[in-house]
Amino acid sequence: MSDDRKIGDVILKVDNISLRFGGVKALTDISFDVREHEIRAIIGPNGAGKSSMLNVLNGVYTPQEGTITFHGEVRKDMDTHQAAENGIARTFQNIALFTGMTVLDNIMTGRNLKIKSSFIEQAFWFGRARREEIENRKKVEEIIDFLQLQSVRKTPVARLPYGIKKRVELARALAAEPTMLLLDEPMAGMNVEEKQDMCRFVLDTNDQFGTTIVLIEHDMGVVMDISDRVVVLDYGKKIGDGTPDEVRNNPDVIKAYLGAH
Amino acid sequence: MIYRESGQYKTTYETDTQIFPIAQDRFAVVALLVIAFLVTPFVATPYMFSAILIPFLIFSLAALGLNILTGYAGQISLGTAAFMAVGAFASYNFMLRVPGMPILLAFVLGGICAAMVGIAFGLPSLRIRGFYLAASTLATQFFVVWCLTKVPWFTNNSSSGVITAQQIEILGYKFDSPAEKYLLVLAIVSVLALLAKNMVRSTVGRSWMAVRDMDVAAEVIGFRVMRTKLIAFAVSSFYCGIAGALFAYCYVGTVEPEAYNLDLSFRILFMVIIGGLGSILGSFFGAAFIVLLPIVLSMIVHVTGLPNSVTSNLELMVFGGLIIFFLIVEPHGLARLWQIGKEKLRLWPFPH
Amino acid sequence: MQFFFEVLIAGLLSGVMYALVALGFVLIFKASGVFNFAQGAMVFFAALTVVGLKEEFGFPLWLAIPATMLVMIALGFLTERIVLRPLVNQHDITLFMATIGLTFFLEGFAQLMWGSTVRALDLGIQDVPIEYLMQKTGMLVSQFDVIAAGICAVLVAVLAFLFNKTKIGRALRAVADDHQAALSVGIPLQHVWGIVWAVAGIVALVAGLLWGSRNGVQFALTFVALKALPVLILGGFTSVPGAIVGGLIIGASEKLAEVYIGPYVGGGIEGWFPYVLALVFLLIRPEGLFGEKIIRRI
Repeated sequence: MSDDRKIGDVILKVDNISLRFGGVKALTDISFDVREHEIRAIIGPNGAGKSSMLNVLNGVYTPQEGTITFHGEVRKDMDTHQAAENGIARTFQNIALFTGMTVLDNIMTGRNLKIKSSFIEQAFWFGRARREEIENRKKVEEIIDFLQLQSVRKTPVARLPYGIKKRVELARALAAEPTMLLLDEPMAGMNVEEKQDMCRFVLDTNDQFGTTIVLIEHDMGVVMDISDRVVVLDYGKKIGDGTPDEVRNNPDVIKAYLGAH
Repeated sequence: MIYRESGQYKTTYETDTQIFPIAQDRFAVVALLVIAFLVTPFVATPYMFSAILIPFLIFSLAALGLNILTGYAGQISLGTAAFMAVGAFASYNFMLRVPGMPILLAFVLGGICAAMVGIAFGLPSLRIRGFYLAASTLATQFFVVWCLTKVPWFTNNSSSGVITAQQIEILGYKFDSPAEKYLLVLAIVSVLALLAKNMVRSTVGRSWMAVRDMDVAAEVIGFRVMRTKLIAFAVSSFYCGIAGALFAYCYVGTVEPEAYNLDLSFRILFMVIIGGLGSILGSFFGAAFIVLLPIVLSMIVHVTGLPNSVTSNLELMVFGGLIIFFLIVEPHGLARLWQIGKEKLRLWPFPH
Repeated sequence: MQFFFEVLIAGLLSGVMYALVALGFVLIFKASGVFNFAQGAMVFFAALTVVGLKEEFGFPLWLAIPATMLVMIALGFLTERIVLRPLVNQHDITLFMATIGLTFFLEGFAQLMWGSTVRALDLGIQDVPIEYLMQKTGMLVSQFDVIAAGICAVLVAVLAFLFNKTKIGRALRAVADDHQAALSVGIPLQHVWGIVWAVAGIVALVAGLLWGSRNGVQFALTFVALKALPVLILGGFTSVPGAIVGGLIIGASEKLAEVYIGPYVGGGIEGWFPYVLALVFLLIRPEGLFGEKIIRRI
């Protein structure tokens, strides 16, 4: 982790977010912030509300209470489309790739906000439509190089092993050139080698592109190693917030989650 | 040995995204087009045109339309025939009421009318999916046909409800004979198929497939799910509308609502399933299959001396059985079988 | 006013018949998540088999019906074995389309076996107004309709008992809830599905007898199934009471619409009115009156 990376100001802040599903309280009064260029981890036991938090951040769920402040704009909930337009991209816990398409097509979908031509222009395959397709293909190929997916680019994603699928999802998120990346357990189900690769990719993304990263992860080694700051959730409530060292020594966190270190 | 890609390198992204990247494929397609356009008109009999080639092309077009909606965008539709009907009746009325209307424009306008109806009846799909959507497309099917039957303005107050389609005349040249109609239909279908293929491999195609596969993720990436679905309905209905107009003008010669019934909708759905969902080529395969099957069956019945009433029932049973067969054995239909065949051909004569 | 009630009651009673067909759908959907488009074809097939056995083989009615019951049970198990089992993990839509294929197959097969002419099915129940009511209130209510409603009520009661009080019923409900979980506690999934399809087949038989007796046994019977779709949308795909209520609403509204709105628009709106009604309903309450809300986890 490079210490000379400049961590900027707060770009995202959530205040007093509460989320309920019928009688189930997924999140209660959560507040924290995220600074530009940092790697922020969200940890906690299963069912703590981590994925729900991410879903709130990018507009999939609407919280009943609280506000989200993104780039200075205060709002009661995030609109999914606006989140995408404002440079938030994400990966999903259970892999939400488009199973009917190849790796290349999946990653190309990540570019969709950059493509301005209408479907009629695309039907006639001339001028702007043609140019955009080629240009975006170039950009996608850069990402394929970055994540070393060259050998599988024309393979239908349904046929790929789990670890590669996760990488493709990351590629799709990166294709949008996001300013903030939300990663939901990007290393789940991977062996040591794959985890190391994925760690490297996440760090490189943060390093090279300056992308702010909010990540949910269970592997404590990974979290303590690569994150700048950590938020700890338990039963929908925040029980810890700070640098990895601060959190590691927090008695509440130890009791709820880490156990004796 | 012949079907090899070795030596064919793609050096630009543009060439990599070609529709037919393998040179042998390109050659085959060009040869096919040459035969279709230049050789067939002199070789085929009027029967072949009227009973096989023309319906094959028209149904391929309708199947293309349905494939875009159901195969690529994942919106199941049981109301295809209704959109064909709109196209046919709209074209007819434009030709009838607007003096000097060129017939090709009438077809296009018919398609546009069908697209608008498609959008209107596609709106419910924004909130509902699966069987519910199928039910709402059934509503379209019944309602549209009822409308066209009951509202006299559409049929120009014809008492029998059956109207003869106008003669086709483009730039002074009359398209009367089966061969001429065949060429016209072939030209239109070829162009529209090309446009469809272009759409399907561009962003709009990917947006359809994304919505089909995982609409929540599609939303998160920034696709506008509502707009994507409506574009799918619009384009699909446009294609079906043109197919309907061609059906009336170049195939049956009359414009009547009853011809565009639920049975036709099912036939086109079968074409798409058997041919292959999500495949442009599959639409053609499926149409060919469904057009040829009754002919093959009646030949079998003829040869084995079974009574004639057996044919139509046998047809139903074979249709039904084949649908189930394909869904079990190869859900991606004939198109996938074709692909597998080509892959085997690439290796031939080696086993692997 | 009296006329209104007559139309209403006639509509409600025909709604009962729709509900019968819808019941078959609900059974299968509840247990296997499959929307059985072939339910209508099964109704047609059952009715035609009864008539065929009577006329071609001279079976008396009391023999033809149980014989057909056996046929429907066999059909149920065969369908599960040949169509469903190979497709067990596929998309819903794939299974739905397989049932469309099954529809065509059954229609062709039924007509191949027994011919395609319209047949009459005489159950011995007359379609005449009930004397008692006619004398007391002057209203014309068909005796047939009332008996049909009674039969339907009995059937629903039997099914409810089956589902809630017997071991098999418990297994069915478990399977409906969660296939995997049911498998893991040792419930023979495919066995259960076979039973469900067989029961649906029997329900189809009852519906076929009633519909066939009223309208004659003809190909159009298969389209009754199409009418069941709006019923299910209104009532919810997974609810037995929903099928009843939905059927009643559709039956009543269809008749009332035809009688009161029909004349202004040239008639024949029975064909699409239930669908449009269902459509409107879908937009307001997608899961139906009694259906389960679909929750998706991401």
